[in-house]
Amino acid sequence: MSPVETPIAVGMAAPIFVLHGDDRRGGDQRPLSSSEARGRPWVLAFARRWTPGRDAEAIRAQLRGLGAILFIVSDTGVWSFRPDDDIELSLGPSRRLRREIAALAARCGVGARDDGVFVIDGDGIVQFALAPSGELSATLAGALDAAGRELLGLPPRPGITRREWAVMSMVAGFGVALFAGCGGGAAQRPAPPAVAAKAGSEIDILLRINGQDRRLRVDARVSLLDALREQLALTGTRKGCDHGQCGACTVLRDGRAVNACLTLAVSAEGAEITTIEGLARGDALHPVQAAFISHDAFQCGYCTSGQVMSAVALLGEGRAKTDDEVRQQMSGNICRCGAYPNIIAAIQAARKGAQS
Amino acid sequence: MKPFTYVRPADAKAAIAAAGASGASFLAGGTTLVDLMRLEVMSPSALVDVGHLPLSQIERRGDGIRIGAMARNSDVATHALVVERYPLLAQALLAGASQQVRNMATVGGNLLQRTRCPYFRDPAVPCNKRAPGTGCSALDGYTRSHAILGTSSSCIATHPSDMCVALVALDAVVHTRSGGRDRAIPIGEFHTLPGDHPEVENALEQGELVTHVELPASPFAAHARYVKVRDRAAFAFALAAAAVGLDVADGRIRAARVALGGVATKPWRSLEAEQALVGQPPSRASFERAAAAAIVDPKPRRDNAFKVGLAKNTIVRALELAWGAP
Repeated sequence: MSPVETPIAVGMAAPIFVLHGDDRRGGDQRPLSSSEARGRPWVLAFARRWTPGRDAEAIRAQLRGLGAILFIVSDTGVWSFRPDDDIELSLGPSRRLRREIAALAARCGVGARDDGVFVIDGDGIVQFALAPSGELSATLAGALDAAGRELLGLPPRPGITRREWAVMSMVAGFGVALFAGCGGGAAQRPAPPAVAAKAGSEIDILLRINGQDRRLRVDARVSLLDALREQLALTGTRKGCDHGQCGACTVLRDGRAVNACLTLAVSAEGAEITTIEGLARGDALHPVQAAFISHDAFQCGYCTSGQVMSAVALLGEGRAKTDDEVRQQMSGNICRCGAYPNIIAAIQAARKGAQS
Repeated sequence: MKPFTYVRPADAKAAIAAAGASGASFLAGGTTLVDLMRLEVMSPSALVDVGHLPLSQIERRGDGIRIGAMARNSDVATHALVVERYPLLAQALLAGASQQVRNMATVGGNLLQRTRCPYFRDPAVPCNKRAPGTGCSALDGYTRSHAILGTSSSCIATHPSDMCVALVALDAVVHTRSGGRDRAIPIGEFHTLPGDHPEVENALEQGELVTHVELPASPFAAHARYVKVRDRAAFAFALAAAAVGLDVADGRIRAARVALGGVATKPWRSLEAEQALVGQPPSRASFERAAAAAIVDPKPRRDNAFKVGLAKNTIVRALELAWGAP
């Protein structure tokens, strides 16, 4: 573990822990370790007054859907829910365990009597942190619900504030990272149908764009970019170089930034596509859009939708933090006007807003 | 872009059957293929889309790791197992392309990445790789980006992949499947030198599908580094790159790996440099001797002679950083 005393936060490496049960009890009390989740997403929840009950089943059902492991640290023991094999391990309280829990909570910046939730993606990076918090079940269920809604393409629950939307963007990013991390996410969506279309013929495809099913007929050569612009009249996505070098055509595919110009429309069937038109909720701009305006992060504006989409993906991933990391992560988006300093400032403002 | 038959197969078996047809090509992330089709540098008669096939798992395999061919570069680069045990691979992947391209590009596709030689990418000029027998425009052209190792009188195009350089240093094995036959191809035998047939770039047969890549346990995780030198700090191809690993015990180098990118016609492993390092103390002097040994019989041309020195310096820098020098 790093000797750094800063509490664990979004974008940082997950806390590493080994927790020991009461040896005198014998039996199944083997230690619980964060390494059990290595390579897959997990959730660490401090819920001091939690006991396994009805909500455990509901939480486990959601975890099973997302393929994550859940560790719950409570005053009565430590619980581990493993959705894949349904094994539920627990450690009974002991003096040693209480010491270990206190150290882990301190490392995570969670007070001795507080609750907290940390969502760690398959790469061991904290994607969502809430500490201290209210009751576990509401917090965790809310986070998973938001992620689930985003992944299922449902609109967010009505009446949310901008700040809540910012938090939910992070959670949605966690959800996407979760799917990417566990590798099983794509399998949970039905595979696109088999196709064999002779050269020159047209293919009927079903694309999911900004949460809506859109049916269209395309020649196999048509790029996703041209399908969006020419057939669906979603012209916010721009054509710059048409060779994947400028980033003007950036859209989100299952939450991740991709070049729409290098994506064949037929290959996008079965994916969840988000374009610049899909970011705002009614009149409420996405926090990244708002930040681009308030920081004057463009001049001619041609590259802006691509920049914004890359920035949204960057915030969802939660890895890039310093200006240099943001620049590196944004290097696939060229701005001929050279608005880079303001673009970085806008992204950093949105990032900090999402975390506050 | 020329018309093509589009096939989205239900499974790998159907994919292999469909891609057996002459002129057919697999489509994965599309970052190379769609680009080159739009330029009409490549015009496959059929595309067999394998991007959706369930070949993207990254998992422990014994002491090593198994990476599905459809795993995205960005997923591989940030996977906990890769970061911990194969940091060289993570560094190489993150040094390549942009985040958008890394999110699309796959391990299988990256193994088959085509050269960035501007003459290859321009259908208006002769190129033995694109149109066999037409001649090589690079030989008398502008050669700043071209290779100094592994060249032939037919082709001097540089292999562009960062990932493959790391895979060469990590003793990767490429696993493939074709009609009823599975093969395991050591990475060193996967890519071929241009010789008289630069249009042939690898050991794959028509319709042979890369299913996954395996890496054996690596003793180099603690001292490994990928250094890439390029014209700008991001989203540019290598002028020279070095993937190195050191296994040091009792003040001596027990084993070493040195592989080069940006300077050769295939991902280039330098056994000479590795041999020069083994048994030596990890020092600047040892690193310089290894770098000198690495560049054997280079064939620089008018505009890329600087790569001889650049490659050596890149190796020294990578070894220093791997060992922990400031």
